[in-house]
Amino acid sequence: MDGDIKIVERKKAPEGAVMLFGFPDVGLVGVIAASHIISELKNLDEVAYMDSKLLPPLIVLHEGLPHSPIRIFGNHEILLAVSETALPEDVIYPVMHALIDWGKKKNVKMMISLSGIPVQDRQDLEELKAFAAASSPETLKLVQERGIEILKEGYMVGPQAVMLQYCATLGVPALTLLVQCFFNYPDPEAAAKILEQLANVVGIKVDVSKLLEKGEEIRLKGRDIMKRTQQELTKMKKTQEYDIPLYVS
Amino acid sequence: MSTRKRHSIFEIMDEYFENLEEWAERFRESLIERPSWNCRACTMEPLRDIMVTHDKVIVTVDLPYSEENTVQVKPVSKDTIEISAKMKRKVSFDDFGITHYKGEFQKLHCQTRIPVPVHMDRMEVRFKKGILEIHLTRKHEHEISIE
Repeated sequence: MDGDIKIVERKKAPEGAVMLFGFPDVGLVGVIAASHIISELKNLDEVAYMDSKLLPPLIVLHEGLPHSPIRIFGNHEILLAVSETALPEDVIYPVMHALIDWGKKKNVKMMISLSGIPVQDRQDLEELKAFAAASSPETLKLVQERGIEILKEGYMVGPQAVMLQYCATLGVPALTLLVQCFFNYPDPEAAAKILEQLANVVGIKVDVSKLLEKGEEIRLKGRDIMKRTQQELTKMKKTQEYDIPLYVS
Repeated sequence: MSTRKRHSIFEIMDEYFENLEEWAERFRESLIERPSWNCRACTMEPLRDIMVTHDKVIVTVDLPYSEENTVQVKPVSKDTIEISAKMKRKVSFDDFGITHYKGEFQKLHCQTRIPVPVHMDRMEVRFKKGILEIHLTRKHEHEISIE
Protein backbone atom coordinates (compact mmCIF):
# COMPACT_ATOMS: atom_id res chain seq x y z
CA MET A 1 0.00 0.00 0.00
CA ASP A 2 2.92 2.37 0.76
CA GLY A 3 4.00 1.88 -2.88
CA ASP A 4 0.80 3.67 -3.93
CA ILE A 5 2.24 6.92 -2.58
CA LYS A 6 4.76 9.08 -4.40
CA ILE A 7 6.71 11.96 -2.90
CA VAL A 8 7.42 14.23 -5.86
CA GLU A 9 10.42 16.50 -5.37
CA ARG A 10 10.22 19.99 -6.81
CA LYS A 11 13.52 21.23 -5.44
CA LYS A 12 16.59 19.67 -3.90
CA ALA A 13 15.76 18.90 -0.29
CA PRO A 14 18.40 19.59 2.36
CA GLU A 15 20.31 16.70 3.98
CA GLY A 16 20.60 16.37 7.74
CA ALA A 17 17.68 18.67 8.57
CA VAL A 18 15.12 18.38 11.37
CA MET A 19 11.82 17.16 9.91
CA LEU A 20 8.63 18.57 11.42
CA PHE A 21 5.08 17.29 11.02
CA GLY A 22 1.97 19.46 11.31
CA PHE A 23 -1.15 17.42 10.68
CA PRO A 24 -4.79 18.08 11.54
CA ASP A 25 -5.50 16.74 15.00
CA VAL A 26 -7.05 17.95 18.26
CA GLY A 27 -7.17 21.75 18.42
CA LEU A 28 -5.46 21.85 15.00
CA VAL A 29 -2.31 22.59 16.99
CA GLY A 30 0.11 21.08 14.45
CA VAL A 31 -1.50 22.66 11.39
CA ILE A 32 -1.74 26.13 12.93
CA ALA A 33 1.88 25.91 14.13
CA ALA A 34 3.08 24.66 10.71
CA SER A 35 1.16 27.35 8.88
CA HIS A 36 2.68 30.00 11.14
CA ILE A 37 6.20 28.63 10.62
CA ILE A 38 5.68 28.91 6.84
CA SER A 39 4.45 32.50 7.05
CA GLU A 40 7.17 33.62 9.50
CA LEU A 41 10.22 31.92 8.02
CA LYS A 42 10.30 33.56 4.62
CA ASN A 43 12.99 31.23 3.27
CA LEU A 44 10.86 28.09 3.39
CA ASP A 45 10.15 26.77 -0.09
CA GLU A 46 7.95 23.92 -1.21
CA VAL A 47 10.47 21.16 -1.84
CA ALA A 48 8.12 18.21 -2.38
CA TYR A 49 4.52 17.11 -2.40
CA MET A 50 2.61 13.90 -1.99
CA ASP A 51 0.82 12.28 -4.91
CA SER A 52 -1.40 9.32 -4.14
CA LYS A 53 -4.64 7.74 -5.20
CA LEU A 54 -5.13 6.80 -1.54
CA LEU A 55 -5.84 10.44 -0.73
CA PRO A 56 -9.32 11.93 -1.27
CA PRO A 57 -9.84 13.38 -4.79
CA LEU A 58 -8.96 16.86 -3.61
CA ILE A 59 -6.53 19.61 -4.50
CA VAL A 60 -5.87 22.91 -2.80
CA LEU A 61 -5.95 25.95 -5.05
CA HIS A 62 -3.48 28.74 -4.36
CA GLU A 63 -3.54 31.66 -6.81
CA GLY A 64 -5.55 29.51 -9.20
CA LEU A 65 -2.98 26.72 -9.33
CA PRO A 66 -3.42 23.18 -8.00
CA HIS A 67 -1.44 21.89 -5.04
CA SER A 68 -1.42 18.61 -3.21
CA PRO A 69 -2.99 18.88 0.26
CA ILE A 70 0.15 17.27 1.68
CA ARG A 71 3.33 19.20 1.00
CA ILE A 72 6.84 19.43 2.37
CA PHE A 73 8.47 22.81 2.83
CA GLY A 74 12.13 23.27 3.59
CA ASN A 75 15.17 25.47 4.05
CA HIS A 76 18.75 24.54 4.94
CA GLU A 77 17.85 23.40 8.47
CA ILE A 78 14.24 22.20 8.52
CA LEU A 79 11.81 20.13 6.50
CA LEU A 80 8.17 20.69 7.35
CA ALA A 81 5.45 18.25 6.27
CA VAL A 82 2.00 19.75 6.48
CA SER A 83 -1.49 18.66 5.48
CA GLU A 84 -4.18 21.15 4.55
CA THR A 85 -6.91 18.56 4.82
CA ALA A 86 -7.99 16.14 7.51
CA LEU A 87 -6.30 12.80 6.86
CA PRO A 88 -8.74 9.94 6.41
CA GLU A 89 -8.17 7.48 9.22
CA ASP A 90 -7.42 4.58 6.84
CA VAL A 91 -4.51 6.34 5.07
CA ILE A 92 -2.60 7.51 8.14
CA TYR A 93 -0.27 4.48 8.16
CA PRO A 94 0.78 4.60 4.49
CA VAL A 95 1.02 8.41 4.45
CA MET A 96 3.21 8.56 7.54
CA HIS A 97 5.37 5.63 6.44
CA ALA A 98 5.95 7.25 3.03
CA LEU A 99 6.93 10.59 4.59
CA ILE A 100 9.24 8.96 7.13
CA ASP A 101 10.90 6.74 4.50
CA TRP A 102 11.47 9.86 2.37
CA GLY A 103 12.86 11.80 5.34
CA LYS A 104 15.18 8.90 6.22
CA LYS A 105 16.59 9.01 2.68
CA LYS A 106 17.36 12.70 3.31
CA ASN A 107 19.24 11.67 6.47
CA VAL A 108 17.09 13.85 8.73
CA LYS A 109 18.67 14.09 12.15
CA MET A 110 15.36 14.11 14.01
CA MET A 111 11.64 13.93 13.29
CA ILE A 112 9.31 16.01 15.44
CA SER A 113 5.54 15.87 15.38
CA LEU A 114 3.68 18.93 16.66
CA SER A 115 0.39 18.12 18.30
CA GLY A 116 -1.99 18.64 21.19
CA ILE A 117 -3.26 16.85 24.23
CA PRO A 118 -6.93 17.67 24.89
CA VAL A 119 -8.01 18.79 28.33
CA GLN A 120 -11.43 19.49 29.76
CA ASP A 121 -12.08 23.08 30.85
CA ARG A 122 -9.26 24.26 28.61
CA GLN A 123 -10.69 27.80 28.71
CA ASP A 124 -9.86 27.96 32.42
CA LEU A 125 -6.16 27.25 31.89
CA GLU A 126 -3.91 30.28 31.89
CA GLU A 127 -0.64 28.41 31.46
CA LEU A 128 -0.56 25.53 29.00
CA LYS A 129 1.63 22.59 29.86
CA ALA A 130 3.78 20.76 27.32
CA PHE A 131 4.49 17.05 27.23
CA ALA A 132 6.66 14.83 25.07
CA ALA A 133 7.12 11.23 24.06
CA ALA A 134 10.06 9.90 22.08
CA SER A 135 11.18 7.00 19.94
CA SER A 136 14.22 6.15 22.06
CA PRO A 137 15.57 6.65 25.62
CA GLU A 138 18.29 9.00 24.26
CA THR A 139 15.73 11.32 22.62
CA LEU A 140 13.58 11.16 25.72
CA LYS A 141 16.57 12.26 27.81
CA LEU A 142 17.08 15.23 25.50
CA VAL A 143 13.58 16.60 26.14
CA GLN A 144 13.78 15.87 29.86
CA GLU A 145 16.94 17.97 30.00
CA ARG A 146 14.96 20.80 28.41
CA GLY A 147 12.44 20.65 31.23
CA ILE A 148 9.57 19.11 29.28
CA GLU A 149 7.40 16.62 31.10
CA ILE A 150 7.32 13.11 29.71
CA LEU A 151 4.02 11.54 28.75
CA LYS A 152 4.80 8.43 30.76
CA GLU A 153 1.79 6.16 30.43
CA GLY A 154 -1.30 6.15 28.25
CA TYR A 155 -2.47 5.81 24.68
CA MET A 156 -1.57 7.96 21.71
CA VAL A 157 -3.78 7.95 18.61
CA GLY A 158 -3.17 9.49 15.19
CA PRO A 159 -0.29 10.37 12.84
CA GLN A 160 2.08 11.15 15.73
CA ALA A 161 1.52 7.67 17.17
CA VAL A 162 2.40 6.04 13.84
CA MET A 163 5.43 8.31 13.51
CA LEU A 164 6.87 7.41 16.91
CA GLN A 165 6.39 3.68 16.40
CA TYR A 166 7.80 3.60 12.87
CA CYS A 167 10.77 5.80 13.78
CA ALA A 168 11.50 3.54 16.76
CA THR A 169 11.52 0.56 14.37
CA LEU A 170 13.81 2.33 11.89
CA GLY A 171 16.09 3.73 14.57
CA VAL A 172 15.39 7.34 13.59
CA PRO A 173 15.35 9.79 16.54
CA ALA A 174 11.79 11.09 16.83
CA LEU A 175 9.79 13.18 19.20
CA THR A 176 6.17 14.07 19.64
CA LEU A 177 5.59 17.40 21.32
CA LEU A 178 2.12 17.89 22.76
CA VAL A 179 0.57 20.94 24.38
CA GLN A 180 -2.67 21.08 26.36
CA CYS A 181 -5.45 22.23 24.04
CA PHE A 182 -9.14 22.14 23.14
CA PHE A 183 -10.34 18.87 21.64
CA ASN A 184 -12.83 20.28 19.16
CA TYR A 185 -11.86 23.92 18.70
CA PRO A 186 -8.87 25.42 16.85
CA ASP A 187 -6.35 26.47 19.48
CA PRO A 188 -3.82 29.11 18.29
CA GLU A 189 -2.59 29.69 21.87
CA ALA A 190 -1.60 26.03 22.11
CA ALA A 191 0.11 26.32 18.70
CA ALA A 192 2.12 29.30 20.00
CA LYS A 193 3.11 27.30 23.05
CA ILE A 194 4.30 24.37 20.97
CA LEU A 195 6.46 26.68 18.86
CA GLU A 196 8.08 27.96 22.07
CA GLN A 197 8.83 24.37 23.02
CA LEU A 198 10.20 23.66 19.55
CA ALA A 199 12.67 26.51 20.05
CA ASN A 200 13.50 25.09 23.46
CA VAL A 201 14.25 21.60 22.10
CA VAL A 202 15.96 22.18 18.75
CA GLY A 203 16.56 25.92 18.65
CA ILE A 204 14.19 26.66 15.75
CA LYS A 205 12.94 30.08 16.78
CA VAL A 206 9.71 31.50 15.40
CA ASP A 207 8.14 34.74 16.63
CA VAL A 208 4.62 33.91 17.85
CA SER A 209 3.34 37.44 18.49
CA LYS A 210 1.40 37.61 15.19
CA LEU A 211 -0.04 34.16 15.82
CA LEU A 212 -1.43 35.30 19.16
CA GLU A 213 -2.66 38.59 17.69
CA LYS A 214 -4.54 36.77 14.93
CA GLY A 215 -5.86 34.08 17.26
CA GLU A 216 -9.56 34.89 16.87
CA GLU A 217 -9.28 35.17 13.09
CA ILE A 218 -7.56 31.76 12.96
CA ARG A 219 -10.32 30.22 15.09
CA LEU A 220 -12.93 31.59 12.70
CA LYS A 221 -11.04 30.41 9.61
CA GLY A 222 -10.27 27.01 11.12
CA ARG A 223 -13.89 25.98 11.76
CA ASP A 224 -14.33 23.91 8.60
CA ILE A 225 -11.08 21.96 8.76
CA MET A 226 -11.71 21.42 12.47
CA LYS A 227 -15.14 19.95 11.71
CA ARG A 228 -13.67 17.58 9.10
CA THR A 229 -10.89 16.65 11.50
CA GLN A 230 -13.43 15.86 14.23
CA GLN A 231 -15.10 13.36 11.92
CA GLU A 232 -11.80 11.58 11.31
CA LEU A 233 -10.86 11.73 14.99
CA THR A 234 -14.12 9.95 15.79
CA LYS A 235 -13.35 7.25 13.23
CA MET A 236 -9.85 6.67 14.61
CA LYS A 237 -11.25 6.57 18.17
CA LYS A 238 -9.17 9.50 19.36
CA THR A 239 -10.98 9.53 22.71
CA GLN A 240 -9.05 6.36 23.50
CA GLU A 241 -6.33 8.77 24.64
CA TYR A 242 -8.52 9.42 27.69
CA ASP A 243 -8.54 5.70 28.56
CA ILE A 244 -6.67 4.30 31.52
CA PRO A 245 -4.50 1.48 30.21
CA LEU A 246 -4.19 -1.91 31.81
CA TYR A 247 -0.51 -2.57 31.44
CA VAL A 248 0.96 -5.98 31.03
CA SER A 249 4.59 -5.56 32.05
CA MET B 1 -28.86 -8.05 -3.87
CA SER B 2 -26.78 -9.87 -1.30
CA THR B 3 -26.16 -13.53 -2.06
CA ARG B 4 -24.34 -14.18 1.21
CA LYS B 5 -25.53 -17.31 2.94
CA ARG B 6 -26.69 -16.63 6.45
CA HIS B 7 -25.67 -19.24 8.99
CA SER B 8 -27.23 -18.14 12.22
CA ILE B 9 -29.47 -15.63 13.90
CA PHE B 10 -26.32 -13.95 15.26
CA GLU B 11 -24.97 -13.37 11.76
CA ILE B 12 -28.30 -11.92 10.68
CA MET B 13 -28.26 -9.63 13.72
CA ASP B 14 -24.65 -8.60 13.06
CA GLU B 15 -25.51 -7.76 9.47
CA TYR B 16 -28.57 -5.82 10.61
CA PHE B 17 -26.53 -3.74 13.06
CA GLU B 18 -23.78 -3.17 10.47
CA ASN B 19 -26.38 -1.85 8.03
CA LEU B 20 -27.93 0.27 10.73
CA GLU B 21 -24.53 1.77 11.62
CA GLU B 22 -23.81 2.51 7.95
CA TRP B 23 -27.19 4.19 7.60
CA ALA B 24 -26.63 6.23 10.76
CA GLU B 25 -23.20 7.32 9.47
CA ARG B 26 -24.66 8.39 6.12
CA PHE B 27 -27.47 10.24 7.88
CA ARG B 28 -25.00 11.99 10.21
CA GLU B 29 -22.81 13.01 7.29
CA SER B 30 -25.80 14.30 5.34
CA LEU B 31 -26.56 16.60 8.27
CA ILE B 32 -22.98 17.79 8.51
CA GLU B 33 -22.39 18.22 4.77
CA ARG B 34 -23.55 21.77 4.35
CA PRO B 35 -21.70 25.08 4.37
CA SER B 36 -20.78 26.55 7.72
CA TRP B 37 -22.09 29.91 6.55
CA ASN B 38 -25.36 31.41 5.35
CA CYS B 39 -25.08 34.40 3.01
CA ARG B 40 -28.78 35.25 3.15
CA ALA B 41 -28.83 35.48 6.93
CA CYS B 42 -25.26 36.90 7.02
CA THR B 43 -24.33 34.31 9.63
CA MET B 44 -21.54 31.84 10.25
CA GLU B 45 -22.07 28.65 12.18
CA PRO B 46 -19.84 28.24 15.23
CA LEU B 47 -18.29 24.96 16.37
CA ARG B 48 -19.95 23.44 19.41
CA ASP B 49 -19.79 20.49 21.72
CA ILE B 50 -22.16 18.81 24.15
CA MET B 51 -21.27 16.88 27.26
CA VAL B 52 -23.85 14.99 29.33
CA THR B 53 -23.03 14.31 32.97
CA HIS B 54 -25.19 12.64 35.64
CA ASP B 55 -26.90 15.90 36.60
CA LYS B 56 -26.09 18.40 33.85
CA VAL B 57 -25.77 18.97 30.15
CA ILE B 58 -22.87 21.27 29.31
CA VAL B 59 -22.91 22.90 25.90
CA THR B 60 -19.82 24.80 24.79
CA VAL B 61 -19.70 27.01 21.72
CA ASP B 62 -16.59 28.57 20.18
CA LEU B 63 -17.49 32.20 19.45
CA PRO B 64 -14.33 33.85 18.14
CA TYR B 65 -14.56 37.48 17.06
CA SER B 66 -17.77 37.98 18.99
CA GLU B 67 -18.72 40.77 21.36
CA GLU B 68 -19.50 39.38 24.79
CA ASN B 69 -22.43 41.73 25.47
CA THR B 70 -24.21 40.56 22.31
CA VAL B 71 -24.13 36.84 23.13
CA GLN B 72 -27.67 35.44 23.37
CA VAL B 73 -28.86 32.01 24.41
CA LYS B 74 -32.55 31.18 24.20
CA PRO B 75 -34.60 28.01 24.30
CA VAL B 76 -36.65 27.60 21.11
CA SER B 77 -38.34 24.37 22.13
CA LYS B 78 -38.17 21.93 25.03
CA ASP B 79 -35.07 20.30 23.59
CA THR B 80 -33.40 22.97 21.44
CA ILE B 81 -31.47 26.13 22.22
CA GLU B 82 -30.46 28.92 19.89
CA ILE B 83 -27.17 30.73 20.27
CA SER B 84 -26.17 33.93 18.55
CA ALA B 85 -23.50 36.59 18.90
CA LYS B 86 -22.64 39.67 16.93
CA MET B 87 -19.12 39.77 15.52
CA LYS B 88 -16.71 42.61 16.34
CA ARG B 89 -16.64 43.56 12.67
CA LYS B 90 -18.18 42.34 9.46
CA VAL B 91 -16.23 39.50 7.89
CA SER B 92 -16.41 38.79 4.17
CA PHE B 93 -15.21 35.97 1.92
CA ASP B 94 -12.50 38.38 0.75
CA ASP B 95 -11.03 38.26 4.26
CA PHE B 96 -10.44 34.54 3.74
CA GLY B 97 -8.93 35.09 0.28
CA ILE B 98 -12.03 33.67 -1.41
CA THR B 99 -13.18 35.59 -4.47
CA HIS B 100 -15.61 33.15 -6.11
CA TYR B 101 -18.29 33.68 -3.46
CA LYS B 102 -19.66 37.00 -2.35
CA GLY B 103 -21.08 37.71 1.06
CA GLU B 104 -20.59 39.38 4.39
CA PHE B 105 -21.13 37.95 7.83
CA GLN B 106 -21.91 39.82 11.00
CA LYS B 107 -23.21 37.15 13.33
CA LEU B 108 -22.37 33.70 14.62
CA HIS B 109 -25.52 31.65 14.91
CA CYS B 110 -26.56 28.07 15.56
CA GLN B 111 -29.27 25.89 17.02
CA THR B 112 -28.38 22.90 19.14
CA ARG B 113 -30.53 19.98 20.15
CA ILE B 114 -30.09 18.81 23.72
CA PRO B 115 -29.99 15.00 23.74
CA VAL B 116 -31.66 14.42 27.15
CA PRO B 117 -34.53 16.21 28.97
CA VAL B 118 -33.39 19.38 30.79
CA HIS B 119 -34.89 22.26 32.76
CA MET B 120 -34.61 25.08 30.24
CA ASP B 121 -35.47 27.57 32.98
CA ARG B 122 -32.42 26.55 35.02
CA MET B 123 -29.74 27.67 32.64
CA GLU B 124 -26.35 29.01 33.71
CA VAL B 125 -24.18 30.75 31.17
CA ARG B 126 -20.58 31.94 31.24
CA PHE B 127 -18.25 33.31 28.60
CA LYS B 128 -14.49 33.03 28.80
CA LYS B 129 -11.78 33.41 26.15
CA GLY B 130 -14.44 33.42 23.44
CA ILE B 131 -15.91 30.13 24.64
CA LEU B 132 -19.55 30.18 25.69
CA GLU B 133 -20.44 27.59 28.28
CA ILE B 134 -24.09 26.74 28.96
CA HIS B 135 -24.99 24.55 31.93
CA LEU B 136 -28.44 22.96 31.87
CA THR B 137 -29.82 20.93 34.76
CA ARG B 138 -31.06 17.51 33.71
CA LYS B 139 -34.64 16.43 34.27
CA HIS B 140 -34.76 12.92 35.64
CA GLU B 141 -38.28 11.96 34.65
CA HIS B 142 -38.05 8.21 35.13
CA GLU B 143 -36.12 7.30 38.22
CA ILE B 144 -36.16 3.65 39.21
CA SER B 145 -35.93 3.00 42.89
CA ILE B 146 -34.02 -0.05 44.06
CA GLU B 147 -35.78 -1.96 46.78
